[in-house]
Amino acid sequence: MYHIDGTDYLKTPYYSKTRSLCPECLQRIGAEIYEENDQIWMRKTCPDHGDFKDIISSSAKYYKWTHYKTENWSFDKDGDANPPDCEITDKRGCPYNCGLCPEHLSTCSLALIDLTNRCNFNCNFCYANVQKAGYLIEPSLEEIDRIMAHFRNKPIPAPSIMFTGGEPTVRKDFPEICAMAKKHGFKEVIVATNGYGFQRKNGGLEWTKKVFEAGLDTLYFQFDGINNATYEKTRGIKNLMEYKQRVIENCRKAELTSIVLVATIAKGVTDIEIGNIIQYAIDNIDVVRGITFQPVALCGRITAEDMQELRITNADVIQEIDNQTGGKISIESAWYPLTTIVEWGRIIAYLADIEPVEFTCHPDCGFATYLAIDPETNEMVSIMDYFDPLKIIDFANKFWDKIKNKEKEPIKFFSSLLGDFGETLDKGVNWLDKQQLKARFLLAMLQHTKKPGKLMEMFSRVLIDGKWDSISAFTHGTLLISSMHFQDAYDFNIERVKRCIVHFGVAMPDGTVKEVSFCTMNTLHRPEIEKQVAKKLTEKVKNEFDTTMGYRVDEIDQEVAHNGGTIKDEEF
Amino acid sequence: MAEIDPESGLKLRKLTELKPTAAEEYQEAMLNRVDYFSKKRDSTFNSFVENTIVGSLKILLDLKVKVEEMLGDDNKEKVHEMIDKLLLFGL
Repeated sequence: MYHIDGTDYLKTPYYSKTRSLCPECLQRIGAEIYEENDQIWMRKTCPDHGDFKDIISSSAKYYKWTHYKTENWSFDKDGDANPPDCEITDKRGCPYNCGLCPEHLSTCSLALIDLTNRCNFNCNFCYANVQKAGYLIEPSLEEIDRIMAHFRNKPIPAPSIMFTGGEPTVRKDFPEICAMAKKHGFKEVIVATNGYGFQRKNGGLEWTKKVFEAGLDTLYFQFDGINNATYEKTRGIKNLMEYKQRVIENCRKAELTSIVLVATIAKGVTDIEIGNIIQYAIDNIDVVRGITFQPVALCGRITAEDMQELRITNADVIQEIDNQTGGKISIESAWYPLTTIVEWGRIIAYLADIEPVEFTCHPDCGFATYLAIDPETNEMVSIMDYFDPLKIIDFANKFWDKIKNKEKEPIKFFSSLLGDFGETLDKGVNWLDKQQLKARFLLAMLQHTKKPGKLMEMFSRVLIDGKWDSISAFTHGTLLISSMHFQDAYDFNIERVKRCIVHFGVAMPDGTVKEVSFCTMNTLHRPEIEKQVAKKLTEKVKNEFDTTMGYRVDEIDQEVAHNGGTIKDEEF
Repeated sequence: MAEIDPESGLKLRKLTELKPTAAEEYQEAMLNRVDYFSKKRDSTFNSFVENTIVGSLKILLDLKVKVEEMLGDDNKEKVHEMIDKLLLFGL
């Protein structure tokens, strides 16, 4: 596998120490990560609640590859954190001071706002549910504006934003919120959705066009498989595939061509659908840009036995992808942690004078690969067939190490001698310097590229300018497949939390914004924060949806009336 | 073609058989995106300088692939190492 085959490192059993939480009392306790039977496990002991053990990776070999370190090589990256928003007041330290405190090591790459806890579905595992909570979580436009400003006004601003919920598209002002995000300068505006607003039989297409024009870039589209029976198990709703298909069709008609299928993977429930989802994405490549598999995070109260039955790790998911694609996307060669491209991204951003995107999360957080269809063979291949990834990464790491100081200290030779005129000369010198660096970098990337063709032409554009046009066109010629494993109290690793790059923003009643890392919010802070921002729940909101069918109660009434012949509107 | 899993009764698609047009569809999706951006005045796809650089890189890459075929794996490795060192030299 990769470049660790035959090394002593691979033969030595993995062992490290970290800190975690007790799944019962959520107190911070020590934990060990160790290798057993070719798997990686976490064990920990709470003085009050006893021993706990959970699997971290079903493949010790893969886990060890992602933790492999040499002088020039490590997937554990140093992040550039923004100045902290709060001080350490709780002596127990991370994760109890989240807001963000000085212990945090990474900046935010993806800002999240929970737009509502209303939803047309009633999935039994979901934490965001107005019916179960008994209160409404729904920030006002002024509060949303405040959260966006918080993320964009930092020294390293968040480049993208995702609206979450509940189902964000049930909000009538959703198009206005998308426009607001663009106004704040977010490059990528994303909605995590089950597709509600987009699929509506009456007005869904017009609404899709409207939100696209307002600034929505991407749907992070809940997609558990292609079988109605799977949705019945996961969502408790019958015949949902037709609903999902309408979302795809309306996006296609509206030319909204950036959909990421998001599949929550639980053992014995949705893992059988992995190959189906990849095939579905290939069939709809004109609008589907990627797939994110999310091994289920078991937040909320769950017994250790139930947890073990459902638990699936990133390694299981990529092994299943290997199995269900006939070995074409191989666990042995296709996958890299998200942090792989940190230096590479920094070089492009520096040379092209654009805002960098920092994926300085923990190596355990997620893995990704690009899939392409080779025009010569019409076969599905991993993008790794097009270039030599190890060589490219190795060169990028060394290159960045040598030029990183230029970013902070540009050449100032003439300005000290000639004042203002010298400054202009120095600008010219710096520009020339960047061009020669760019030429070196491009030539290095070129020599490790294995296949010519249109896709690699587009890749060279990404290297040259790093602009959204080039990135977007490149991603339209490929399929991004990733696996993101969010944490729960059983597998919680505080070293991962400190490096989290996905942060919730919550507008607090005192006028401040609380920024909390994703896994910490869902494992620890959500109940307390929601108590502070909860609004009163009205009967109207409570009875808004028939959550066994996924439609508004008034929509169902219309359909019944129409079928009875009282409405003659052909459009319905 | 979908098969039915005997245990779960679920439909399973086999990934080994892609549509004959799959590669074309991928390429078309990418080129449609280029068209979409090209209609905007400030798009990178309308930059003469960048298009020229990309064109030159394409020629270089074609040439490089052919030269490497002649070199063989061992020699290729040595050449790569040398060029990498050269490109990092003086930084």
